[in-house]
Amino acid sequence: MSGLEVVQGGGSAPAVAADGLGKRYGAKWALRNCTLEIPVGAVTALVGPNGAGKTTLLQLAVGLTVPTAGEVRVLGLSPRHDAHALLPRVGFVAQEHPLYRGLSVAETLKVGKRINPGWDNDFALGRIEQLGLPLGLKVGKLSGGQQAQVALTLALAKRPELLLLDEPVASLDPLARREFLQTVLEATAETELTVILSSHIIADLERVCDHLIILSQAETQLVSPIDEVLASHRLLTGPRTDPATIARVNRVIRESHTERQTSLLVRADGHAYDSSWELHEVDLEEIVLAYLGHRRAGAATGATQRSSDRDVVRS
Amino acid sequence: MTWVAWRLQRTETLIALALLVLIGAVLLPTGIEMSHAFDRDHLSLCLGHRPSGACNNAIEGFLSRFNSLGDLLAWFTLLPGLLGVILAAPFLLELEQGTYRLAWTQSITRGRWIAAKLGLPLAVALLVAGAYILVGTWWREPFVRMNGRMDTATYDSEGIVALGYTLFAFGLALVVGVLWRKAVAAVTVAFVGYVVARVFVDTWLRDRLVTPLKLSWNPAAGQPAALDHARILSEGGKILLGGGRLIRQGGRSRSPVTPAAR
Repeated sequence: MSGLEVVQGGGSAPAVAADGLGKRYGAKWALRNCTLEIPVGAVTALVGPNGAGKTTLLQLAVGLTVPTAGEVRVLGLSPRHDAHALLPRVGFVAQEHPLYRGLSVAETLKVGKRINPGWDNDFALGRIEQLGLPLGLKVGKLSGGQQAQVALTLALAKRPELLLLDEPVASLDPLARREFLQTVLEATAETELTVILSSHIIADLERVCDHLIILSQAETQLVSPIDEVLASHRLLTGPRTDPATIARVNRVIRESHTERQTSLLVRADGHAYDSSWELHEVDLEEIVLAYLGHRRAGAATGATQRSSDRDVVRS
Repeated sequence: MTWVAWRLQRTETLIALALLVLIGAVLLPTGIEMSHAFDRDHLSLCLGHRPSGACNNAIEGFLSRFNSLGDLLAWFTLLPGLLGVILAAPFLLELEQGTYRLAWTQSITRGRWIAAKLGLPLAVALLVAGAYILVGTWWREPFVRMNGRMDTATYDSEGIVALGYTLFAFGLALVVGVLWRKAVAAVTVAFVGYVVARVFVDTWLRDRLVTPLKLSWNPAAGQPAALDHARILSEGGKILLGGGRLIRQGGRSRSPVTPAAR
């Protein structure tokens, strides 16, 4: 096999490809009209407020629910119809990282070993040792951060190509959050692992993620590499102006006015502004919040239809 | 997956086996004692005859000694329900605690997982219920020979009836648990539902079933021709007939007791 690269069916397919994907629970759409493509070989963050459809999207991707509309393909396969072929290639840590609380750490690993043909036991044991967890201890007795680490170990030891993490750090304290994300980073460095993680906590994502997807109101808003996002967004402040003059050439994500000053968060894309504007760099959190706030304002008043039609990437 | 399924319901399986051991501990010694008493007093000779004084005394004596045990056994009709809901509990816990999201995203398909996860407790439920049925049927033999097996506590605890009730309780707990996703609540509701169903069947439904026919004859004269197309549900001191032409002859009214060979 030396030098021979075996490309499996759909080996070059995107990690996740959604086409008009929608999921409705009763009368409420949890996810609607979602069309996106997430590349392999990158760490992609799925951000948005609670109820934005992040969990639904991930559960659809891993086959825990079926779409009401549209289609999702993971590594080129259908999560529901090709489950047999797909499941061994995908690692998933569900929200609140569920584990069998009555089992010991060792038994938890044994469960993983018994139902995953690709199980890497040395890796799993090494991880547990590195974390300093006693093998005989019941999982229910571990701290939240430790449980999250065990759940992550379980998902990584099956040696997946794609790792899906649903709000992995939401319930963790800042230190545990860092350690968890560090583990994810290490895993991506060691192997050709593609990671998609959802989060409503934006802090720390910048350090870990390559791509950003903003989900809000059950719809996709922005799909971009993070460095591009950071490079292209600017905060403009200047004397009070009609924002329409700016909006003609740029996307205005957020505008706020005081009596004398107007400040605009724009997708600048390298556009040069006249000197009456002061340019500031903005961090990821502010950009994300601007997108989320922008969408909400648009939905609430309908007045920003002008800009939202142009800004929102509904692909 | 078998080990996984076993490990995840070890506790419930052990509880089910403990129940069986408990039942055995009650039934085996008393059953042996009862069957000895039945033989010693030659009660089998009293059956099928018009009661005589000596027989009456023997039967009275036996009943006064062991009837309270028979009443005790009536409580065991709760066992299939208990077994069914206890063994359904691990599956319900999986739904309540969300661990199915862990299990269904490992490398095996959910179909295989569910088959193992439900197959094992079902097998345990049927095995334990089956063992209980065998022991209980053996235990009840003296009573059955005197009273027949058609009374509620007996009929519902024997053969496939008790197996059916076990499956019913198991299925009911699953349905409630899938809809409600609270394991303890679902198990409780399902058990109450089981008791209600039993009471409904015993007090209302059974009265509306066709009454079995009873026939007695002198064994020396051979079996009456009327029995040729009947299914014998029970024989011994009393013979109960059901099905076939006799039912239709008797209609739905009172069953005609044929006074053969007086």
